[in-house]
Amino acid sequence: MTPAPFIRCDGIAKSFGTTRVIDNLALDIFKGEFVSLLGPSGSGKTTLLTMIAGFERPTEGGIWLDGYRIDDLAPHKRNMGMVFQNYALFPHMTVAQNVGFPLRMRRMGRADAQARVARALEMVELGAMADRRPSQLSGGQQQRVALARALVFEPRVVLMDEPLGALDKRLREQMQLDIRDLHRRLGLTIVFVTHDQSEALTMSDRIAVFNKGRIEQIDTPAAVYDRPATRFVAEFVGETNMLSGRVADTGPDGTAVDLAGGLRIRVRQPLEPGRAVSVCLRPERLHLGGAGVNVMDCRVTDRVYMGDHLRVALDGAAGPIIARLPRSADTIREGEAVTASFAPEDCWVLAA
Amino acid sequence: MIARHLPDLKAAALVLPLVAFLAVFFLWPLASIFTTAVSDTEVSRAFPELGRAIDGWDGQAPTPAMQQALVADIRTTPQATMGDAVRRLNSQTSGFRSLFGRTQQAVARGTGPVDLVALDGRWADPLYWNTIRSALPPYTPRFLLSALDLQQGAEGIEVAGQSVHVQIFLRTLGISALVTGLCALIGVPFAMLMLATTGWVRNVLMASVLLPMWTSVLVRCTAWLIILQNDGVLSRILQTLGGLREAVPLLFTRSGVIIAMTHVMLPFMILSIYSVLIAMPKNLMPAAASMGANPIAAFRTVLLPLALPGIVSGGLLVFMTSLGFYILPALLGGGNDQLISSFVAEYAIRQANWPLASALGLILLIVTVVIFALYQRLSTRMAGA
Amino acid sequence: MGAIKTVWGILCVLFLMGPLIVVLPIAFNAGGFVSFPIQGWSLRWFAVLFGDPGWRLSIWNSLIVGLASSALATMLGTLAALGLRGRVGVPVVLARMVFLLPMATPAVVLGVGMQLIYARLGLGSTYAGLIIGHAVLSIPFTLLSVTAALASVDRGVERAAASLGAPPPTVLWLVTLPMALPGIVTGFVFAFANSLDEVVLTIFLAGPNQRTLARQMFLQLRDNLSPAIAAAAFTFIIATICIGITGLWLQHRRKRMMA
Ligand SMILES: Nc1ncnc2c1ncn2[C@@H]1O[C@H](COP(=O)(O)OP(=O)(O)OP(=O)(O)O)[C@@H](O)[C@H]1O
Ligand SMILES: [Mg+2]
Repeated sequence: MTPAPFIRCDGIAKSFGTTRVIDNLALDIFKGEFVSLLGPSGSGKTTLLTMIAGFERPTEGGIWLDGYRIDDLAPHKRNMGMVFQNYALFPHMTVAQNVGFPLRMRRMGRADAQARVARALEMVELGAMADRRPSQLSGGQQQRVALARALVFEPRVVLMDEPLGALDKRLREQMQLDIRDLHRRLGLTIVFVTHDQSEALTMSDRIAVFNKGRIEQIDTPAAVYDRPATRFVAEFVGETNMLSGRVADTGPDGTAVDLAGGLRIRVRQPLEPGRAVSVCLRPERLHLGGAGVNVMDCRVTDRVYMGDHLRVALDGAAGPIIARLPRSADTIREGEAVTASFAPEDCWVLAA
Repeated sequence: MIARHLPDLKAAALVLPLVAFLAVFFLWPLASIFTTAVSDTEVSRAFPELGRAIDGWDGQAPTPAMQQALVADIRTTPQATMGDAVRRLNSQTSGFRSLFGRTQQAVARGTGPVDLVALDGRWADPLYWNTIRSALPPYTPRFLLSALDLQQGAEGIEVAGQSVHVQIFLRTLGISALVTGLCALIGVPFAMLMLATTGWVRNVLMASVLLPMWTSVLVRCTAWLIILQNDGVLSRILQTLGGLREAVPLLFTRSGVIIAMTHVMLPFMILSIYSVLIAMPKNLMPAAASMGANPIAAFRTVLLPLALPGIVSGGLLVFMTSLGFYILPALLGGGNDQLISSFVAEYAIRQANWPLASALGLILLIVTVVIFALYQRLSTRMAGA
Repeated sequence: MGAIKTVWGILCVLFLMGPLIVVLPIAFNAGGFVSFPIQGWSLRWFAVLFGDPGWRLSIWNSLIVGLASSALATMLGTLAALGLRGRVGVPVVLARMVFLLPMATPAVVLGVGMQLIYARLGLGSTYAGLIIGHAVLSIPFTLLSVTAALASVDRGVERAAASLGAPPPTVLWLVTLPMALPGIVTGFVFAFANSLDEVVLTIFLAGPNQRTLARQMFLQLRDNLSPAIAAAAFTFIIATICIGITGLWLQHRRKRMMA
């Protein structure tokens, strides 16, 4: 038996006037889980978060927390920490007062509160800034204050709306580690909104991929990456080559698919013959050289040096495709004829 | 259900104190101006019984019921109230006072029914009864008509003898229009000048708009009193410029009032135009020039149309405010330069003629509110655009 | 072209500023009020202004009525601005229009109307009556400036406070009002300046005991041109400049805080 979900969104919908921003959405989040909401801009991630936090009421459906329906519970009684997309710091309070605010609301003793604030500020490397105003901080520093403020009272649930958006790469990676560490140490339940797919992949227990107010897929990072449920997910999470074709025949050792360019390839999934399908092939699954089940002859149309790998555009029987090659393939030249191959188990087939 | 409407209720609770306050201390005063301007209870208050009995009378011979009602009213109405009513009736039909005096004495002698026609033959004449009846309705257009120099004659509304108020209204409208025009004439180029300058020059120009605006109107009146006085600074300058032998009189003249009113209203006009101009893209004039428009054509075809909303809304504001001017003309103008507000104050404070003061005030209020509504619409549209 | 512009600019500035420049030194004129070329310097008119019981009473009255009416108008205006905040619809537009109407109503008309009802309420010639009257005239200023201040308070910040555990009254008290404070104070300052300068309504509503500085000045200007007027005018200008500087400073502070 699976445990009961800690946060449960059931059949919720949200309309602003006549526009439907969230449409019949179901999402279960378990205690101690780190769930990312990933999706393009305007797909309704913030809207879902504001409904969980209690600032907006769902137009339809309900939200449960720990078994209790919380639709009518005021935001200040939900005990959820929230990091806002635009920080939402109190401009008239110092950094320390900002971070101390939730403790003040919980009537914590002065000495205790001060110690907690100091620790929280140390965690986000802002100990020296305690007496500044938010307007005297950089964007990244403000974001860290917001983070410290949402975590300092050790809430049951932390909702984060793109909390790392304004940070530089070094700080961003540092904060990603810190948040993961906090998550594990405190057993926090975290709902983390991002539109950076690599951030979602590296940090989450599960990822919910949003598109136009619906969840297209919710699963572990590996499953979302390797076995996307829809074409949208395949193209939004990581880069992918989409090859359209038709199922030729299927048997115990795999399935044969005829691609539009005339090439026949083999994949693992059993499929009904005659169906139109799309085959997703991740660029890093392609290899140079003729050893393999699926082999095709191509011409190199472009090569870009990316530092840790080469990004190569190929044109062959399967149409234009992108390959991601190790740096050992550095000698490859534009216009060169090459043979590319890939394994049947590296192909993921979706209904077209 | 309640939870869903809670925000509305909270908002209503917050707005309620102000609504109540303004209802009592703002809307009620305005409403009482209206009722004072149209109500006329002097007579109806004195004759409550007769008011009922005279209903449906054919206007020929007085009925016995009417006579007894009149007797009852004479016995119950307090002396002062009756006195006011009789004075008013006498002013409409002479002889009423003497007839009524006799009747009152006779009625006071007994307590039973009195035969009025036997007492005085004049009571058989429908004229006196008609006088009372025509004065009985509690509402009258009399004061409003008189505020427009009209009166209720035998056959409909007619023009009263002399034109007093209409002339004042026209003067008020004329002076306000002139001041508005002057403000626009000075304000448009000045606002453009502000736009064309930068740095400290613009700051100086801005300060010279803001400082006078913030300064008390009384202080500015004081200043103009000094400047405009006969043999004063301005008068001397004009004398020299014009090569005149005598000083130009300015204080207590129409010109003085208009100059000072323009000074008071100009900052509002300038700011109104400036706020529109500053919001438009900086490169429009160069763009027009690059397309071959000479400065004057560019001004006429580009800048002026863009500034127009500012000019119109500023103009409405100036005009509306000018209509209500009182203290400035009172201090700087002569007897012939007073605006309508002065007459409202005069009727109210000096003569205690509240109905007429209210009637004049009501007309002024209506004109102002209409302009204000236009102004609001324009400024919300501009804010929305 | 340039020369014409310069001359035009100078003429306009002279017209706008001239009266203020003329009136300042008069207060220190040793001679009479109407003698403009200054005859000598003296502070005697200030001595008259602050020594004469009539003038002194009027200064006190101006302060009392100004402070009380601005406080009343600010309170009512702030509450209403909070209630109307972020709301749309026909009733809201109408309410806003009515709230701003005192700004457009000619003071004389309001004076007549208020005197009519004050006779019934027994408020004529009382401090309460005068304070209420001034508050009515000041409400548009406070409402407008608090509304503008509230519009610049980010809803997200209030939501943040709620998510951190602050119930609505606490959010209002610790977040919304402090953030709107400069606007509220600005409204108060405007209301005070407005009350200080009010003459017409005061003529209708005030008895001899509630004579304000502005009304006293008006009577003196109209009837006997006492030179102490110039000293009063000077005091007025100084008060205006102080109020103006306070206003600018508040605006500056608000911009800096929100930046
Ligand atoms: N209060 C509102 N009224 C009307 N429409 C709204 C409102 N809030 C959000 N929307 C609309 O709902 C849609 C989803 O908005 P939301 O803020 O949830 O997107 P998001 O996924 O968070 O995007 P982003 O990544 O850009 O933050 C958008 O199209 C937005 O315009
Ligand atoms: Mg968002």
